[in-house]
Amino acid sequence: MGEIKLTINGIECAGTAGQTILETARANGIDIPTLCHDERAEIYGSCGICVVEAEGNPRLLRACSIMAADGMVIHTDTERVRKSRQTMLELLLSDHTGDCVAPCVLHCPGETDCQGYVKLTAEGKYNEAYNLIMEKLPFPASIGRVCPHPCEEACRRELVEEPVSIMELKRYVGDKAILPQPPAATAPSEREPKALLLEEGGTRLAYAGRKCREESGKSVAIVGGGPGGLTAAYFLRLKGHAVTVYDAMPQMGGMLRYGIPEYRLPKEILQKEIDVIAKTGVEMRNNVKIGRNITLSNLKKDYDAVIVAVGAWTSVGLGCPGEELDGVVGGIDFLRGVSPQTMSGSDNRNEDVLYPLSGQKVAVVGGGNTAMDACRTAVRLGADAVYNIYRRTKNEMPAEEIEITEAEEEGVVFKNLTNPIEIIGKDGKVCAVRLQIMELGQPDASGRRRPVAVQGKEETLDVESVLVAIGQKTDVSGLEELELTRWKTLAADEHTFRTNLEGVFAVGDATNNGAGIAISAIGEARRAAGMVDRYLNGETLEYKAPYLVKTEKTAKDFEDRKKELRVKVRCRPAGERIKDFKEINPGLTEEEARKEASRCLECGCLDYFECKLIKYANQYDVQPEKYGGKMHRRAVEDDIPGVVRTPDKCILCGLCVRLCEEEVGAGVLGFVGRGFDTVVMPAGDCIECVNCGKCAEVCPTGALIGKVTV
Amino acid sequence: MKVTVGMGSCGVAAGAGESLEMLKRSVIGSNVTLVGCNGLCYLEPIVEIDGKAFVKVNEKAAGEIVKLINGEPNDAGQYAIKQDDLNNINGQTRVALANCGVINPENIEEYTARAGYTAAKKCVTGLTPEQVIEEVKTSGIGGRGGAGFPTWFKWNAARSSPGEKKYVICNADEGDPGAFMDRAVIEGDPHAVIEGMLIAAYAIGSDEGIVYVRAEYPLAITRLEIAMKQAREKGFLGQNIFGSGFSFDMRIKAGAGAFVCGEETALIASLEGERGMPRLKPPFPAQKGYQKKPSNINNVETYANIPWIIRNGGAAFSAMGTENSKGTKVFALTGKIKNGGLVEIPMGQSIRDVVFGPGGGIKDGKAFKAVQMGGPSGGCIPAELADTLIDYKTLAATGAIMGSGGMVVMDETTCMVDTARYFLDFTCKESCGKCTHCRVGNRRMLEILERICGGEGREGDIELLSELAEQIQSGSLCQLGMTAPNPVLTTIRYFRNEYEDHINHKKCTARHCKPLLTYNINEQCTGCTLCAKKCPAAAITGEVKKPHVINMEACVQCGKCAEVCRFGAVEVD
Repeated sequence: MGEIKLTINGIECAGTAGQTILETARANGIDIPTLCHDERAEIYGSCGICVVEAEGNPRLLRACSIMAADGMVIHTDTERVRKSRQTMLELLLSDHTGDCVAPCVLHCPGETDCQGYVKLTAEGKYNEAYNLIMEKLPFPASIGRVCPHPCEEACRRELVEEPVSIMELKRYVGDKAILPQPPAATAPSEREPKALLLEEGGTRLAYAGRKCREESGKSVAIVGGGPGGLTAAYFLRLKGHAVTVYDAMPQMGGMLRYGIPEYRLPKEILQKEIDVIAKTGVEMRNNVKIGRNITLSNLKKDYDAVIVAVGAWTSVGLGCPGEELDGVVGGIDFLRGVSPQTMSGSDNRNEDVLYPLSGQKVAVVGGGNTAMDACRTAVRLGADAVYNIYRRTKNEMPAEEIEITEAEEEGVVFKNLTNPIEIIGKDGKVCAVRLQIMELGQPDASGRRRPVAVQGKEETLDVESVLVAIGQKTDVSGLEELELTRWKTLAADEHTFRTNLEGVFAVGDATNNGAGIAISAIGEARRAAGMVDRYLNGETLEYKAPYLVKTEKTAKDFEDRKKELRVKVRCRPAGERIKDFKEINPGLTEEEARKEASRCLECGCLDYFECKLIKYANQYDVQPEKYGGKMHRRAVEDDIPGVVRTPDKCILCGLCVRLCEEEVGAGVLGFVGRGFDTVVMPAGDCIECVNCGKCAEVCPTGALIGKVTV
Repeated sequence: MKVTVGMGSCGVAAGAGESLEMLKRSVIGSNVTLVGCNGLCYLEPIVEIDGKAFVKVNEKAAGEIVKLINGEPNDAGQYAIKQDDLNNINGQTRVALANCGVINPENIEEYTARAGYTAAKKCVTGLTPEQVIEEVKTSGIGGRGGAGFPTWFKWNAARSSPGEKKYVICNADEGDPGAFMDRAVIEGDPHAVIEGMLIAAYAIGSDEGIVYVRAEYPLAITRLEIAMKQAREKGFLGQNIFGSGFSFDMRIKAGAGAFVCGEETALIASLEGERGMPRLKPPFPAQKGYQKKPSNINNVETYANIPWIIRNGGAAFSAMGTENSKGTKVFALTGKIKNGGLVEIPMGQSIRDVVFGPGGGIKDGKAFKAVQMGGPSGGCIPAELADTLIDYKTLAATGAIMGSGGMVVMDETTCMVDTARYFLDFTCKESCGKCTHCRVGNRRMLEILERICGGEGREGDIELLSELAEQIQSGSLCQLGMTAPNPVLTTIRYFRNEYEDHINHKKCTARHCKPLLTYNINEQCTGCTLCAKKCPAAAITGEVKKPHVINMEACVQCGKCAEVCRFGAVEVD
């Protein structure tokens, strides 16, 4: 074999005569992308991705097929080459259907890999499921109890019958990690819930994420110890930075602790999850309020970066006469006030609670989850009657349906289509609320029908307390240096989370659009942690939305699925549960969890993490939608033993066909049809198939996927 | 008395079979012989009596000709060929077609009577293979399949490639729409092809030949089979040919009619029983061809020229034509041309010479708009460039190619966007599906053209087409994919305004793209109600004997009303 010398990208490269440009480049450490080439197969050259320029040749050359020759001057990454690769990728993607990522994952503001942990749960791999969740969300047990679960709204199982109970599954896995397990699952000596039983990382499940990177020597201050602040702390700590969380309240957890009642999220559960975070070495300091005990400018001086995650802790007022009266309380103020005294073990009728409602008639204004929490907490505090005042009907209520239903079961009286216009007082104390009767008019910008006053129709309710849960604001005192939005929230870049101050980042309820759900704050915090990490490493902060293939599906696509309703979540009987603050939902049993998890349709491509097509698509900035032509819609086939074949993901690289023939010698697969409608198919009944799985192994996309044995 | 009937596929289709049967009932009986196509396809069936041609010989005419042969009073004179049409043939220079329409292709004696197999004998018994190749080199002949690659070079490469076993392959997978040169040559003069292959075999050192002919050419296959049988009987094929010790035989492989199998690497795959998919070159077939053995692949017309070159000398061949393109070329004239058929002219004449010479100009007195050369791989040359010379280089400069000889003539009623769409539709249907550029790229281009013709063109479509075309040209694996954008690029280059009219103004100036047309009934309307009755969308209303009206909202632009109106009252715009 003759030695040859050639230049690739300006580098002198040595090669051997008879080797292709691709082989020569690889041998010299230069990668050339390709989808259809594999050294085990004969030269083929169909995908057109490996093109390179050779000086003196007007055409682009396929590096996989053209032999390197002495003196060649090759360029593998010129603009022309990149453009050509981009076009080829766009063409391939223009007829590549499917979902890189499942809708549940795409709709989770925390980007948790729902499909992944649901699948692992179905397989009983709880360790792996827990670790997978923890990559995105350090509060699976807590969020698994309180999340409004946008994932389930997006779940395609709905097209069959009902969405998968993703939240309950997350809780199941989270509980498994932090709670003592039932006797069947653990040895008798381990039955008692002793902290000692927890492993080093603070969990019962082997937990890979607890190991922090080597100390970076950099420090970060986080203002606010709610779900956002703690999440940011956790991920920054894992990256090796010294993290201190400052929180104004006596204990960590923020709204998860002080806004969500015990019967939905026991403090004990929350604390265990905070402990897991603390175990990574995050320093947590309570009773420290920004602007009072510390200043932003000092934090800036003392730390390399600051993340502001102070939340939205101020109730929005009603704006009607009488709201200054004694007995009018903000919804979150009320929840925060009763929170410490309403632990499961404490006596809720105790006169020591901040807001003793025992025997009172209470009106709760608002239709959201906070309003429901306030209603149900009032019930548990012994209120005589609890009225919910909401200006539209139940259909328009932002609160979750289950919350409304359970509140109703617990005796809350829903005064829908009413709006408080005056709070009437006696001796400075609330004695009644005057309500305007409303009706629904034309839809407003949000699409909901606008409530309109019915002239002259009013109602007066005798009440002693009015809890106002119609919205929350951020208290920006101590944060005056930060720029605000026109909604008086902190202005932070939605991708980099930067504020107007160098080194100061902001996330969560306090920023931009204001109060949202916990998982949103958690998602922002995790992404912000990544940004802060890059900032600390001196990298530029930029964000590029990943390119993903997405496909719309309809019920028709799932016609053949057997209907299987989702598991019924148990709830303690209303008559029993209103007597205390103990958790009302006992969670799923293992059997239920695995059965529920197995309902998952696995919408997201199982090859996403290995897919070369999507990897290149993101490297070459593709826009396949510009062609807008025909896309194939063919059925998923089960015609190769041990392999699932999805023709619509096939890019016809022919690797499966060629390796099956050339290497395996089985020749089971072949091309059928011509041109645009060409498809790879097995011949006959796959008699020659040796079940080697090579076809799935070499497939660069998710067109052929080996079936995982459960 | 020598009586011949043109029995090429064109003649047979026009009813020459019936004429032949009738003529056989004349006094000379079975002495009536058949010949191949002489190129005047528009005049078929053609009967010749001692060199005097009668054209469009239908049953009635055949009857008159029978009387003529029988010496009875007759009216045959009115079917005699006209001087213009005679000039058409006489103005041509025939090398590849020299025997077509002249000899009986099913009778080897007629071929040998015209010096048939003397060239082969000269080579095999008197020249070294190198000398043969040298003679072919002197002729300057290039591959007639379209690319014009020097034939001698291929032969020499195959000869120089190491290996005992070598193959000579004839590419008769003629697939361009509107091209039928190769079919006519095989049907009319199969021995010329056999002799050409024999000479090539001797030159490269091969003992086995294969003709890859599409199965849609049954008559060509039959004639070739007859010719091969006769050649074997005469010792021109088989062992120890001309007593020289040189042996060569050949066989036919009928292809299933995939256009891409005309691409030589796909043709080889198909010969080997594999899916007809091109592969990258190198290695070239001359190095690693059929059965991985050195193989020489030439087109039918190329082989048919070889005996003439050997007999008359390469210099005589190269005396014809231009600097870059030697000899003659056969063209198949189709489309909006008066005299549709085959013409063979020396290289170097202009497109205009062909269209208005043997072609007789445009049908129905319409205006000449363009000519598509090279089939789906070629390009449209506008009337303004009709003086372009027929020469590989000058044609390529226009964006078209010489191609295998298809020449589709277009007039003012031809929409150039639709023409591009038509050819791309063809290539998309014929794509083997292997590589991305062609399988998806050409398909996406087709979809863009479809939407433009359908009135859904968008701003930026021309740019998108041009960009895709450029990418496909520079990166496609095989010639089919690579050249498929040519019709699009040339029509954009020369008829960009038509694209813009379609996209921006939703107008098809050629009034061809139906979704872009609007219909209006003018005062010529007599209220005959015919249009209203024929309208499939019930879009036309009006009382009897009163002018009708078209509701354009309901109109589906089918054009039926304009078609049926006898008063010219339906205006199409």
